[in-house]
Amino acid sequence: MVDIGTTLEMVQASQAGMSAVGAGLAVGLTGIGSGIAEMGIGAAAVGATAENRDMFGLALLFTVIPETIVIFGLVVALLLLF
Amino acid sequence: MAGVSSGSAQYIYACTRMRVRKSLLIPREDYLRMLNMSLPEITRFIGETAYRSEIDELGTSFTGINLVEVALSWNLAKEYQSILELVPGDLKHFTASYLRRWDIQNVVTILRGKMQKMSAGKIKEVLVPAGRLDRVALDRLVAEESPERVAEALKGEQFYPIIERELPGAIEAGSFAHLENELYRGYYARLIADAKEGVKGGDIFLKYIQLEIDIRNIQNLFRLRAGHIHEDIRELMISGGSFTVDELQRLSGIENQDEFIDSLKRSVKMLPLLNALEDIRGKTALHAIEVALTRVQLEQMERMSKRYAFSILPVIVYLEEKKYEVANLRALARGKEAGLPGERLQGYLVM
Repeated sequence: MVDIGTTLEMVQASQAGMSAVGAGLAVGLTGIGSGIAEMGIGAAAVGATAENRDMFGLALLFTVIPETIVIFGLVVALLLLF
Repeated sequence: MAGVSSGSAQYIYACTRMRVRKSLLIPREDYLRMLNMSLPEITRFIGETAYRSEIDELGTSFTGINLVEVALSWNLAKEYQSILELVPGDLKHFTASYLRRWDIQNVVTILRGKMQKMSAGKIKEVLVPAGRLDRVALDRLVAEESPERVAEALKGEQFYPIIERELPGAIEAGSFAHLENELYRGYYARLIADAKEGVKGGDIFLKYIQLEIDIRNIQNLFRLRAGHIHEDIRELMISGGSFTVDELQRLSGIENQDEFIDSLKRSVKMLPLLNALEDIRGKTALHAIEVALTRVQLEQMERMSKRYAFSILPVIVYLEEKKYEVANLRALARGKEAGLPGERLQGYLVM
């Protein structure tokens, strides 16, 4: 509902503000999500690499797989902003 | 965010390291290959695996079977100490209490050596400083003159009250068997107490302890049967497992082997153990029975460690498997030294 005294500019500004907040949430929450996901994988990757150096490449690859979540968030954020 | 805590990453780290190390242990095929080798070939073979640094280091001071023996003990001790360093918090607590069995083994070895007036160097060769008492502490004990002095130097250790109580009798009788039994019974009682202390993960540790006690008791029952001992065995049995000591006493009274296995099977719930007991029915050699039971224990622990993937169990599974690897290699080397044929030796290996 729009107040009687609200002008068109104010509505537009409020919409832009809301989508900025949405974009922020999209990146922020997915960042936390991938952080949690990477915790376990990273710990196991460091453990495996400590025992066997050859595991390094594969371990790094596994560790960054949850990064896809934050990329989805980033895409959503960009769609919201532009 | 259920189940996510700051401690879990450390558990994952430590348990993964244990799993990687376990995968690097000597596989069954290599044991089979080693059965056809001579002692120098076996020495060279293990010199190319995880035992390289010990074989290289000790190669100048020892030869033949002694080199293998000492290198294996050194490696085991080094491995156990490094694990104790890398496991975090609560896991360290449980690992340390598990490793206390090596303290008992070392202390009893020193007491026996002192009793028989062995030289300090000879005693040192057979010690495995894998427990809480490190090389320095053990050296200090070895330097003591008499068993009484050794016991005195142990004042403050958890098992000191048992030594204090049992040592005079043991010296008088000239046998440390009773003292050793009491120490191990005290060790298991202490393990259970540690698991029930309320530290996180204690319930899982307790499951392992009960399995270990059960298997040990069953092995002991078979040993006693092989020795035709049917008198009061209560003091030889370990309490705290799923059998009560009285139940074990009743089981040991059964003369017939088939009847004994039948009534044992009625009290056992674990499926792999039931299958193993059925297999044992046809076996008469004690070592075959023991190896079969040990296999069941290891397999069951492996299964449990998968159910509780990030707990004390993967650590204990590795420690146990490493212990048997060293025992296998020692048996192989000793057997080859004595000129036993490969087929005979195979029966003694836990693969």
